Amino acid sequence: MLNYKFLVDTFFVALSGAPTAILITIVSLLIATPLGFLFALVRINEVKILKRFVQVYISFVRGTPMIVQIFIIYNSVPLILATIFTKLDIKINIYDVNPIWYAFIVFSLNTIAILSEVFRSALGTVSKGQLEAAQSVGLTNVQAYAKIIIPQALVVALPNICTATTNLIKGTSLGYAMSLKEINLRAKVAANVGYNYVEAYIDIFLVYLIICSIVEYGFKLYEKRLRTYKVVSA
Amino acid sequence: MDKYFNSVYITNSIPKLLPYLIVTFMVVGLSVLFGTLLGFILAVAKIRKGKIAKKIANGYTTALRCTPSIVLLFLTYYGIPAVAKVFGIDLDHVDKTVFVIIAFSLMFAAAMCEVIRTAYESVDKGQFEAAISVGLSDIQAYVTIVLPQAFVVALPNIGNSLLALIKEGALAYTIGLIDIMGKANLIIAANMNAHALEIYIGLSIIYWVVSIVIEQLFLKLEKVLSKGKQVIKIT
Repeated sequence: MLNYKFLVDTFFVALSGAPTAILITIVSLLIATPLGFLFALVRINEVKILKRFVQVYISFVRGTPMIVQIFIIYNSVPLILATIFTKLDIKINIYDVNPIWYAFIVFSLNTIAILSEVFRSALGTVSKGQLEAAQSVGLTNVQAYAKIIIPQALVVALPNICTATTNLIKGTSLGYAMSLKEINLRAKVAANVGYNYVEAYIDIFLVYLIICSIVEYGFKLYEKRLRTYKVVSA
Repeated sequence: MDKYFNSVYITNSIPKLLPYLIVTFMVVGLSVLFGTLLGFILAVAKIRKGKIAKKIANGYTTALRCTPSIVLLFLTYYGIPAVAKVFGIDLDHVDKTVFVIIAFSLMFAAAMCEVIRTAYESVDKGQFEAAISVGLSDIQAYVTIVLPQAFVVALPNIGNSLLALIKEGALAYTIGLIDIMGKANLIIAANMNAHALEIYIGLSIIYWVVSIVIEQLFLKLEKVLSKGKQVIKIT
């Protein structure tokens, strides 16, 4: 009943979209990690006006579907850019812009909110005494965070970072809405010719399964390594 | 900018979209119902000693955790009728909503399975043994002692899974379900793709409000339910 030749061929078509999905994931994580950490610090230290802004931002990102966020960015950023470009007289046609740039924006903005919550809860698990102890031996705040607080918080945060990463990878499947040629769209286009949708989606499913399994396994190994240094107090 | 963006469209779109929230809630409600049932079965399989059942349940949750919901949605939409055809059953005229509910039930089951399992494991075994020792039957012990305690632990995770489900539910428009998201796309199509941004903003406001309300409800519920909880302080 299945077209096995198509199934095998399309698997490689879908797989050819994997670099795009992985690139978006990595770029988004690179942008979102420092900003998410900053946002977490803003909320922990209760910086006055900024704290409100961060709260609303996180609440919005977490309270609306990713696909709606994609549509909002995809419809608004070109508008804003077009206005800026005409004002500054820059002759770049915004409709020629590679959709991957929009994907970077959408997924970074989304991941900032998710990671900032992860960091906030992880930093909350490190007792305040740790910071005070670090300060008392003469470390600066930055040193204390880099050497004492973050390594401890990271162990706690890792499973959640793993979930956020796999969710991000899965989220890139929505890139089709920005006509981004990732795993989902490539296989779907291949399926359009002969209506082999079942085969195409089995392939897409397999590609995501493989990528996410590898990522999860990698995180598990890393967590194990980090945990070896953790002394469990009885 | 005025030509492209007009905030009147935001306020106009909200009343047009709101009636379709019922469709969204219906899909979510039914998915929660079936998903919880399946999730419970899977959780039992994981908790019990049976090796094969445990393997199947573990495999199921891993696979579902790694599948984007849009892929799962299309896989059920195209896959189930194809499989049924092999057995000579024609499912071509089955309503799309059914496939949407199946897909999201499968997804929610994977989430609930983990929620139920971790909640169950968080209740100390001594609680069950104590209940047995005062003469309760196994079922009584579970229903009156273990479940109420596990439920309180599970509540925040249930809330998170429910919110995730509502948000993922927006994807049902891709197979043509006219829920709130589908309606937004119809309005945009009727406008010849003009003012799409305003309508999506209106849509996002509705989702945002729904999420906040549900979040607050769960926080309240958690507060009420954990009233009887006594934390034993070790000095």
